Amino acid sequence: MENAGRPQEFLTARRAGLVGCRHCGVAHPAGTVRCSRCGSALASRDTRSLQHVWAWLVAGMIAFVPANIYPMLLTTTFGKTAENTIVGGAIDLLLHGEIAVAGIVFFASVVIPIGKFLAIGYLALSVRRPTAIRGHSRQRLYEVVEFIGRWSMIDVFVVAILTALVQLNFVAAINPGIAAICFALSVAFTMVSALSFDPKTLWDAYEADTA
Amino acid sequence: MTGPAPADLDVTQARPSFWRNLSLVWLVPVIALAVSLGLAWNSFAQRGVLIEITFANASGILPGETTLRFRDVTIGTVEDVGFTPDLASVVVKARVNKEVAPFLDADAQFWVVSPKVSARGITGLSTVLSGVYIEGAWDKVAGTPLRSFIGRDAPPLVQPGREGKRITLISDNGRLLSEGAPVFFRGVEVGRLERPRLTVSTDMIVVDAFIEAPHDRRMNTATRFWDTSGFAVSLSGAGLSVDFDSLSSLVAGGVEFDSIYEGGTPVSPGYVYTVYPDESDARKSLFLRSTAASVDIAAEFGESVSGLEPGADVRLGGLKVGEVVAIAAQVQETEFGPELRPMARLAIEPDRLGLPRGAGREATLDFLETAVAAGLRAQLATTSLFSRALVVDLVNLADATPATFQRDAEPLPILPSAVSNLPDFTATAEGVFERINALPVEELIEQAINTLASVEAVARKDSMLALPDTVVALLEDARAVVNDEATRALPGEIRNAVGDLRATVREFDDSEAIAKLVGALEQVDSVATNLAQASQNVPTLVEELQAVAQKANALKAEDLVAAATRMLDSAEQVIGTEAARALPASLNAALDQVRGALSELRDGGAVENANATMASARDAADALAEAAAGLPDLSARLGRLAAQAETLLAAYGTRSDFNKETLSALREVRDAARAVSQLARALERDPGLLLRGR
Repeated sequence: MENAGRPQEFLTARRAGLVGCRHCGVAHPAGTVRCSRCGSALASRDTRSLQHVWAWLVAGMIAFVPANIYPMLLTTTFGKTAENTIVGGAIDLLLHGEIAVAGIVFFASVVIPIGKFLAIGYLALSVRRPTAIRGHSRQRLYEVVEFIGRWSMIDVFVVAILTALVQLNFVAAINPGIAAICFALSVAFTMVSALSFDPKTLWDAYEADTA
Repeated sequence: MTGPAPADLDVTQARPSFWRNLSLVWLVPVIALAVSLGLAWNSFAQRGVLIEITFANASGILPGETTLRFRDVTIGTVEDVGFTPDLASVVVKARVNKEVAPFLDADAQFWVVSPKVSARGITGLSTVLSGVYIEGAWDKVAGTPLRSFIGRDAPPLVQPGREGKRITLISDNGRLLSEGAPVFFRGVEVGRLERPRLTVSTDMIVVDAFIEAPHDRRMNTATRFWDTSGFAVSLSGAGLSVDFDSLSSLVAGGVEFDSIYEGGTPVSPGYVYTVYPDESDARKSLFLRSTAASVDIAAEFGESVSGLEPGADVRLGGLKVGEVVAIAAQVQETEFGPELRPMARLAIEPDRLGLPRGAGREATLDFLETAVAAGLRAQLATTSLFSRALVVDLVNLADATPATFQRDAEPLPILPSAVSNLPDFTATAEGVFERINALPVEELIEQAINTLASVEAVARKDSMLALPDTVVALLEDARAVVNDEATRALPGEIRNAVGDLRATVREFDDSEAIAKLVGALEQVDSVATNLAQASQNVPTLVEELQAVAQKANALKAEDLVAAATRMLDSAEQVIGTEAARALPASLNAALDQVRGALSELRDGGAVENANATMASARDAADALAEAAAGLPDLSARLGRLAAQAETLLAAYGTRSDFNKETLSALREVRDAARAVSQLARALERDPGLLLRGR
C-alpha cells in the first residue's frame, strides 16, 4: 500500500468519502453541500481558514507595533506626568530591583505575543510545506498557542484595574495610554487568528509528509 | 469496498483565482494598518517644533517632565537639557505645539517659574509640588518664527502683548526704586517698575515703568511722579503726620503719579519723567517746568536785597504765585541822575493768581495794573525769624504811596515796591556775634588760669591756711560785742529817735506848710521862664548824649578786654610779688588789730557813745521841728512876692504887646517844658532811643 512505511494504518473521514457537519456532527457523503439536519454549509476542509489566519495574524502584528511604541500607562503624580511604554515599564521595574515582576511583565507582554506570532506563522506555513516538526508536536504547539492567548491580556487587565483604582486627582492618577488599546487589539487579533486555524490541515500536511 | 476517488475532488477544487478566493477578513489587517499609520501620522503631524532656550542655569528643569506653558496651558515639553559649546549657559530644547510656533518671534520671552517669596507675596506656589515649568509670553501677532531664544532670569514685569505704555523715570536715588516696585495712581496700583539702572554719562538712575491700559491715559505733560517708599513723618502747624502707602511699597519702594494741574497734553511712550522725593516736592516742581507759561515782571527795591536769591518764592497772601528768577542791579533814571538799583526779576504764574486757564501775558499785566492801582506792592519779607532768606510778598497796602504799574518799562514791566519793615535783628545779632567772636577769649582765659594758679599758690601758704582760725576768733569777738548789753540797748534808742522824728514830721504835716509850699512852687513855675533859654539848649544836650552814646557804642570792647587782661596781668604781678605773698601775714595782723579795736570798743564804752549820738539826733530833729514851724512864714512871704509880681504884670494891661508877648513866651516855655518832660518820659521808657538817635 501507499502507507506501507507507516507503523499503523488509519482511516480518515475524507478517505472514507464522508464529510461531517461542524455544527451538529451528522456525517454526510462527500460532495454534499448542506447539512441535511441543520442546514449549514458542509466542507471537508475550510479552504479559507488559512487566509483568515494570515489576515488576523497580520492585523495582530500591525497592532503590536504601536502597542510598543506608544505609552501604556500615563502616571500623574503631583502634577508630573510620566509615560511608560511596555518595555520601558519593564526596564523601570528592573532598575527598581523587581526582577521577578519585570520578568513576568516582559514575558507576558513581549515574549508571549511575539512567540504567538511566530508559532501561528510557523503553523500556517507548515500546512503548505514540509517542516521539521512532526505532526503531534505541531498539534501540541497549536493547543499551547490557543490556550496561552488569553493570558497575554494580563497587561491590559493590570492597566484597566490600575486606571479604575488610582484616581486620586492631583496626588496620583493613572490613565491608560493608546498602547493599551493597541495591545488589547493585538492580543485579540492573534486569538482570533489562532481560532481560525483549522487543525485538520495540520494533519493533511502530516499525511502529505508521510505519503 | 469501493470509495470515491479523492484525487478527483482535489483536482477540481485546486487553485481557484487568488483574488476570487480572497476573504473579506483581509479587511481587518488593512484597517488595522490604516489606523496604525493614521496614528503614526497623527502623532508625527502633531509633533511640535523644537526650539532652543538658553538659560543661565537650569534649576529644576528635567527632560521629558518639565513643561512649557503659555497662559498656564501646557504647550510643550522639555526634551533635552544641554550646554552651549563653551559650557557658559544651559540650552533647553523643548518641543512646542505647532499652533503656537508661528507666534514665537523676536518678542517671545521665556522664564522659569519657581516658588518665590517677596514683599509683594508668594508666587509659583504650585511648582513646589509639581516642579518648575517654563512659562512663555508673546504678543498676539505672528511674526517671523525663531527657533532659538534667550531665557530670562525672572518673569518680565510686562508681558508682551499687554496693553499699556512704557515710560522712563529719572531719579537721583536708586535706593528708593527696586525692580517690580508698584506704580500707584491715587493709591491704586496701575503699573510696575523695571530694573533700575545707572546711566553711563550722569549719576542719575533711570528706570523704565510700564503703566497698564487704560490707566496709561492718565499720564500727560502735567503728570508728576514722586516716591512713596518708606514712610514720611512731617511735623507742621497741622500737627504730626505719618504717611506710608502700603506695606509693599514700604519694603520694596514705589512711585505714585498724579496730574498736578489741568490740561496736560498726552505723552508718547518713552516719555521721560523725573521722580521727586515726595508729593510736595512734586507739586512745587510745577514752576520748574512751567516757567514757559509764566509772565516775567521786575520789581525794584529801594533797600538791600541781601538774602533774596533766585528761586525764592513770590507770595500773595502766603500762597506761592511765582518765583524770583534773577536779581540784578539796574540803572534807573531818577531826577537826581542815573542810579543803580537792585532789581528782582519775578516769574508770575497766571494760573496761580486765579486767572482763567490760558490767560496770557496781557491778561496778567492787566490784572497787575488794576491790583497796583488798588495798592498792590512788592515787599521783601523774611521766611523765619532766624533765616536771612528773603521772599517777595505781594501785599495790598491801603495807605501805600501812589504808584503805577510801569507796564511799558524796558526790559520788563516794573511792579512798585514798598519798603519792608524787616527787623534788623539779624544784622545786630550778627554784629554782636562778630564782636564776641573777635574777643581774645583764649588769652583772657589763659590769663585767668595764670591768675588762679598764682592765687592758688598764695592760698597754699601756711600763713593763709592759718587765716581761718584768725577769722573764727574775730567772729567770736564780734559776737561778744553783739551780745554786749549795751549793744542790745542800741535798737531801743534808735527806735526812740525814730519815734521823735516821726512826731516832728507829723507836726510839720499838721501845719499848712505843705499847701503853702505848693502855692509857692506854682509861682516858682512862672519863674521857669528862665528855663526858656535853657530849653533851647536841650537839643544840643541830646546831641551830646547821642555823641556820648555813640562813643559808648564805639567803645572798643577789645580795649576793655585788653585792659582787663592788663589788669589781670597787674593783679598777677601783684599777687606774684613777695609782698602779696606776705599779705596773709599782714592780713592776720590787721585782723588782730581789728579784734583789738573791737575789744577796745567793747571795753571803751563806744556803744554808750553811739547812744549819746542818737540822743543828739533826737535834739536835731527837735530843732528841725522848730524850723518847720517857721516855714509858714516863709511861704507867706513867697506868696506875697508872687502877688506883687502878679499886680506888676497886671499893670502892663491885658492888651499891651508886652503882656501878649510875655504870655506867648510863657506858652512857649510851657510847651518847651512839656516837650522836655515828654522827652524825659520817652527816655525813661526806652533808653535805647538815645542809642538809636530818634
